[in-house]
Amino acid sequence: MKPAALLKAALWLLVPAMLVPYYWMAIAAFKPVAELLRRPPTLLPQAPTSRNFFNPDWAGTTADPDRLAGILQVQVEGHGFLRFYANSLLVTLVVTVVSLLAASLVAFVLTKKPFPGSRWLFRALLLSMMLPWEVTIVPNFVTVAQLGWINSYAALLVPGLAKAFVVFYFRQAMLGVPDELVSAATLDGAGTLRTWWSVVLPLLRPALAAIAIPVAVGEWNNFLWPLLVVNDAATLTLPLQLGKMAGDLSFNPQSAAVLMAGSLLASLPAIVLFLLFQRQFVAGLQAGATKG
Amino acid sequence: MTGWRGHGRNMLIVTPFFALFGLFGVWPVLRSAWLSFTDYHATDEPVFIGLRNYAELFADERFWTALANTAAYMGAVSAIAVVLGLVLALNFGSNSRLHQWVRVAFFLPAVAGGVGAISAWKWMASSEAYGLFNSLRATLGLEPARFLGDPQWTLPVLVLVGVWSVLGYNLVLFVAGLRAIPDELYQAARLDGASRWQQLLHITLPNLRPTLVYVSVAGMVARFQVFYEPYLLYGAVDTLGGPLDSALMLVTYLFDRGFRQLDLGLASAAAWVMTALLFGLAWLNLRLIGKEGRR
Repeated sequence: MKPAALLKAALWLLVPAMLVPYYWMAIAAFKPVAELLRRPPTLLPQAPTSRNFFNPDWAGTTADPDRLAGILQVQVEGHGFLRFYANSLLVTLVVTVVSLLAASLVAFVLTKKPFPGSRWLFRALLLSMMLPWEVTIVPNFVTVAQLGWINSYAALLVPGLAKAFVVFYFRQAMLGVPDELVSAATLDGAGTLRTWWSVVLPLLRPALAAIAIPVAVGEWNNFLWPLLVVNDAATLTLPLQLGKMAGDLSFNPQSAAVLMAGSLLASLPAIVLFLLFQRQFVAGLQAGATKG
Repeated sequence: MTGWRGHGRNMLIVTPFFALFGLFGVWPVLRSAWLSFTDYHATDEPVFIGLRNYAELFADERFWTALANTAAYMGAVSAIAVVLGLVLALNFGSNSRLHQWVRVAFFLPAVAGGVGAISAWKWMASSEAYGLFNSLRATLGLEPARFLGDPQWTLPVLVLVGVWSVLGYNLVLFVAGLRAIPDELYQAARLDGASRWQQLLHITLPNLRPTLVYVSVAGMVARFQVFYEPYLLYGAVDTLGGPLDSALMLVTYLFDRGFRQLDLGLASAAAWVMTALLFGLAWLNLRLIGKEGRR
């Protein structure tokens, strides 16, 4: 074979290789524990089971591999997987919606309704984007602790609401909003808020959709910050719980089946949404590339 | 014209945002600069100790281990992901349905590459014979390797997972960069009898320079701050750094010193050293490959 053809073949082989982790996760989620620990591993579940999700024979704490709790039955201090799932959904939705609305409003005011000093505010935003997040993480942890927010939703939500890079992104998008429309709205007696809501936001819809994706993906996968501010089961997020379970994997391989079931449930919404809205995702994550 | 009353109202409108931004975006920058010069363990008030945190940091062997690991990881992942991403973009960059689906496959980790996917990697890399990696070794007649327990495997495993997670992102950025190169340039080159190699060297690469600079700088900056992949794969109960600290990264080190040992002054100093290193890195990159793009 010619080198070029060989290269091409190797590149084509990479395509299925990229999907192996998802495949391995998906088949492990449906294998009985005994089959999961078989060597060599089976490439398709020989006896597919849903017990890793919900085990009807679950019998409390036990070493019997057939009676382990499914992922939906796993309890941490009285809270289950669905609670962690709901926590993650709540944080992702609230932070995405509020931070986008706030940033678009700020970008609108700074670009179309500038006031003395507004340039300096924008420069401060830009400057903060240049610094890595490591710089702010220690004081922010201290602030959240001093506010008494450890283990509360406030700790997960509030620090993420004012996102400089989203303002920056909307400032670019604001160039597509004609000044005439804004002044026409003002002449009609609409205030800043009303103009933003009924004139600017509808025009920004594609930009909102694009930037919502990296923000939401980032929040859904956020790990380090929740790890610092949450250790109470009631406010545990999905990545935290999966991370804890992954930590047990080394000395408790039996837990792999349930962990893979949980990982599948955690990855599935992102995968399905991505397959449905490929173009928007790719464009959106490129748009989010300005993020520090 | 907006009068002062209008200005006042508009200022009021942005106040909540800037209050939050000030509290969680500006104030912490100043505070961490100050804390880096103090002895601070969260319980008592910070005590000014001059440069002692920085001295302690530079005297700590684990810091240098973390720096070396991070540099090796960042260098390897960035180099492979940039070269491979570009090769992939040159081969799978068309608008055909097939190539679009190929790009979707590569891009999937950028969307669904969180803790769940890393858990799957951890399971595949299991040291037992039922791990996928080890069963592949078995088909080659090799003994099982302790991929997550033997320090010599740490970097290869982390680099593999790292490349896997950023490759599609680079691919997509390169495809966009390639499409921005005007077709007339290639037509003119072909008229002059340029081979495909010559076209790549003299048209594609020079015109792709802005994208190349962006992809490598942004990629290196992001890899430099890697945390959750090594933490999940190697952060067992006690030693966050994995076998012989072979998976200890700078952020892991900061996390360990700051939030497990609660030495928040030292962690702040580490954060500023990382910031300086990042600026140096960006500057170096721009010097080496930047040199002003053609446009």
